[in-house]
Amino acid sequence: MRNRVREQRAQRGLSQADLAAALGVSRQTVISIENGRYLPSLPLAFRIARFFEVPVDKMFDPDDEEAGT
Amino acid sequence: VKISVPARLRVPLAYGLAGAILAAAWLVRGGATWWFAIIVVVSVAPRVFVVYRRGGRDSDEGALAGSRVDERQQEIRVRAQALTGIVTMIAAFVGLTVEIAIKGPAWWAFLVIFAVGALGYVFGLQQYGTAGEGVPDGEDAGDDEPFPVGR
Repeated sequence: MRNRVREQRAQRGLSQADLAAALGVSRQTVISIENGRYLPSLPLAFRIARFFEVPVDKMFDPDDEEAGT
Repeated sequence: VKISVPARLRVPLAYGLAGAILAAAWLVRGGATWWFAIIVVVSVAPRVFVVYRRGGRDSDEGALAGSRVDERQQEIRVRAQALTGIVTMIAAFVGLTVEIAIKGPAWWAFLVIFAVGALGYVFGLQQYGTAGEGVPDGEDAGDDEPFPVGR
């Protein structure tokens, strides 16, 4: 499942540590999500989408199986 | 009375407590091998310090050692614990069968470990899974046909 977390974070000029602190997760988890190695839970996915003010289905594309677990 | 242990101290304290209990067991046993208790203390003490220091690192291992995991690290821990359980059960089963085959004296110890593991698995199913599956409603109510074999 492809996601746009890295793209959105870069647009806002945030570091992975900044985003991690804002979401209440570790920097390693932000890295894993951006790399598609970890699929966040539904609550965390909504937190990410709300943080970037992007609909959750725009932030995470279930039709793209290129990356993800 | 509720005792609150700071998160970063929990894992190191658990290591230290386990080491202290093991050392005490050697002392209680007494005899010529009482000094094994000293070896346990000397081995465990540096490990406690290492785990405490690791708990301050900005890494997955640091989060696990410092008891400040997020959901992904929690999943890592649960998977690692599950693997530990599986490996322990396999080791206990192999030990049990070997001890039985060679008429060894320790077969019952392996049996106890295997039985406790099996009971833990059944308890886990009850606690986290099958007890919470709920009952079907609407069109599914009363649909208790067996799941087809081969699917």
